[in-house]
Amino acid sequence: MPSHAGTPLIEARGLTRVYHRPRTSLTKPGHDVLALREVSLTVHRGERYGIVGESGSGKSTLLRLLCGLDRATSGSILFDGREITGLPERRLRFLRENLQIVFQDPMSSLDPRMRVRDLVAEPLVALGLPVGGRVAELLEAVGLSAEAAERYPHQFSGGQRQRIAIARALAPRPQVLVADEPVSALDVSVRGQILNLLADLVDELGLTLVFVSHDLSVVRHVCETVAVMSAGEIVENGPVDDVWAAPAHPYTRALLEAVPTLEGLF
Amino acid sequence: MRGRMNAGLLVGGVLVGIVVLAALVSFFWTPHDPTLVDAARKLREPGGGYLLGADKFGRDTFSQLMVGARTTLYVGIVAVGIAAVIGTPLGMAAGMTPRGWLSELIMRVNDLVFAFPALLLAVMLGAVYGAGTLTAMIAIGVATVPAFARVARAATLQVMVTDYVLAARAAGRRRPAIAFRHVLPNIGSVLIVQASVSFAIAILAEAALSFLGFGTRPPTPSWGRMLQESQELLFSTPRLALWPGLAIALAVLGFNLLGDGLRDFLDPKLRRIRAEG
Amino acid sequence: MLKVDGLTVRADSVELVHDVSFAIGPGERVGLIGESGSGKSLTALSLMGLLPEGVAASGMARLGDRDLVGVPESRIKELRGRKMSMVFQEPMTALNPLMRVGAQVAEVMTLHGKPRHEARARAVELLERVRLPEPAQIARAYPHQLSGGQRQRVMLAIALANEPGLLICDEPTTALDVTVQKQMLELIAEVAPALLFITHDLAVVASVCERVLVMYGGRVVESGPIREVFTRPRHRYTEGLLAASKLTPRGTRLPAISGSVPPAGRFPGGCVFRNRCPQATPACETAPELTGDAHAFACWHPAD
Repeated sequence: MPSHAGTPLIEARGLTRVYHRPRTSLTKPGHDVLALREVSLTVHRGERYGIVGESGSGKSTLLRLLCGLDRATSGSILFDGREITGLPERRLRFLRENLQIVFQDPMSSLDPRMRVRDLVAEPLVALGLPVGGRVAELLEAVGLSAEAAERYPHQFSGGQRQRIAIARALAPRPQVLVADEPVSALDVSVRGQILNLLADLVDELGLTLVFVSHDLSVVRHVCETVAVMSAGEIVENGPVDDVWAAPAHPYTRALLEAVPTLEGLF
Repeated sequence: MRGRMNAGLLVGGVLVGIVVLAALVSFFWTPHDPTLVDAARKLREPGGGYLLGADKFGRDTFSQLMVGARTTLYVGIVAVGIAAVIGTPLGMAAGMTPRGWLSELIMRVNDLVFAFPALLLAVMLGAVYGAGTLTAMIAIGVATVPAFARVARAATLQVMVTDYVLAARAAGRRRPAIAFRHVLPNIGSVLIVQASVSFAIAILAEAALSFLGFGTRPPTPSWGRMLQESQELLFSTPRLALWPGLAIALAVLGFNLLGDGLRDFLDPKLRRIRAEG
Repeated sequence: MLKVDGLTVRADSVELVHDVSFAIGPGERVGLIGESGSGKSLTALSLMGLLPEGVAASGMARLGDRDLVGVPESRIKELRGRKMSMVFQEPMTALNPLMRVGAQVAEVMTLHGKPRHEARARAVELLERVRLPEPAQIARAYPHQLSGGQRQRVMLAIALANEPGLLICDEPTTALDVTVQKQMLELIAEVAPALLFITHDLAVVASVCERVLVMYGGRVVESGPIREVFTRPRHRYTEGLLAASKLTPRGTRLPAISGSVPPAGRFPGGCVFRNRCPQATPACETAPELTGDAHAFACWHPAD
């Protein structure tokens, strides 16, 4: 484990999630899908923790569980020492105040019929926190002008929409920011802007970052620690530079080899 | 980005506009008293201040059509109102708890009501509580509830799996807030389309009920009853059946075109394609 | 093989692709790089005669001796799937869910006059050629029983069925996992007769193509041999895009191009990149010509 000044902030133990598929045939019963199998991980305060996996690896399921958006079939998650699994929504307030998410596709994660002002203020309103001048402050922090508040999401480019989503996530001053593939739906020329912005905000606000991606090289740029997921399990984890330099698991090696890179091509 | 006007929307809007205008004007002015019986004008031919002539009681057809538009809209609004107010929340509730017992219960009861013919319901209610415009409207409204519930449920299911609902949950929003802030605005366009189509069905149902004598009672003019009263004179004076028949057909066509036109107009997917060129 | 000259695509009054010219020789693999709104997909669709309604192409495009632009749809239809074919991004929606895979591969051949039994046998051969394991079994499967990568291989088999002279691929691996993508790219490079490969991913294009066209704002801003363009970019957009594609070590700033890609029709006049370009001067208000032979670029202030 990396030597970390921070104390454990998120501790997941033995997380398993089984989805029941409804029957699709009259003669055969529906079957169960094991999306996540006995997954454990620890994220320390102030850490930048990357989760890498391909489609079907279970990374999205894990993310939903960590964010209290889905119920684990078994296992436990402690957030800052408090159990969050199995809690009803009304008792998750401490989690919602302290952990916020930025989703992959900023087109679909922003309600098309709401103004930016209402979108950014949504967590504040939902948690009963004062809105005040916070929206303008947040828009400025993510590099948007205050006039943006009165407009609708479709009037912005993909990169700008992702800025709006980041502003919304930061609204309740969370300790943890969870970013689910935040740049994979964006144009390459603006990808750097968003990753730089995330890095700056994490630094300035002293955030803990959980960063999910299919791309190990992006995780390497952003995070210190990485967990590689495949078929519902964490197959390898540790400091990202070690995993990058000397991948221990065959799947990690295959993943590293497969990523097309410009470096060393010519 | 506004959607482009299409021909259906335009024609539908104009037809519906004419009906609404006729109904509104009839409150202040009609060429003649539509209920005034005058044997001297019995079956008067069109012309000379009687644009479309008079019926067997000497009542002015044009004036009756104008006031009949009022009944038509009244019935449509109340019936669709009942259906929307009951059906939408039920459909949303079912759509927001897709695997719960509540959803099952709502949708099965829905199927039961759906399987029951609307006109039969109206006739039964009419027999029990007395025939009248209100009974007819309630019957039509109740019978239209399942249509709204189904459409609302289907649209809600689509909205509930979007990232923005997930984002709202992550932001700490509870179910009622999600229903009002996210689901309702995003299923609104579908409901408006359903309302205009249901409106057309309600108009037709009211006309049928009035024709059968279970709808609007005399002397209130109604297009359906005008048809019924012209029945015996169908071959001698066909114009008496022609005008109310035409009015019903055009109004129904108008609301249907409006519904289809609105569907294209409000569909964000189609809109995006246009915006991107 | 394929020759495109002055291809322009318009929707109403908005010009989406402006004066695009290039050529692909037999066996050549050419990449078309661009971000959203660059016009790269519209360029490909106009060659296939598949432009959406309300969008029209003008200019010259010729495959062998057959014109592709400005001729009736029916004339291009005979070429589609026979002389040229296309593989799209989303393999799920491009296949008929109710038809067995083998029958779908065979169908494109019977459509162009091959006897049914011959087409069936050839379909299995094709599935083997795109390296699907147990091709005879796969031929009897329905699309939903296959993985995303397998479906995309089936699409490739369909595209290759009539031995076309030109294969157009539009982001064929964007929806696939990286481990699957790699094999798919190798396969495409191997089987394509002549290739026009459209993508937003520079690293992907570098692993497949020999020559590259860089599009931005509906124009080709730079073109040339891929090694040269990628190691010595001249246009400032290519330069910025290359820099932005490389991930620097942790703790350093990532290079990025300022601003964002404007929506269609909102690109500036003159050089389309000038509102985001760090080197822009008033000279850039005049549109630069694409100049140069092998390695061409359209920039007033090129990088060295």
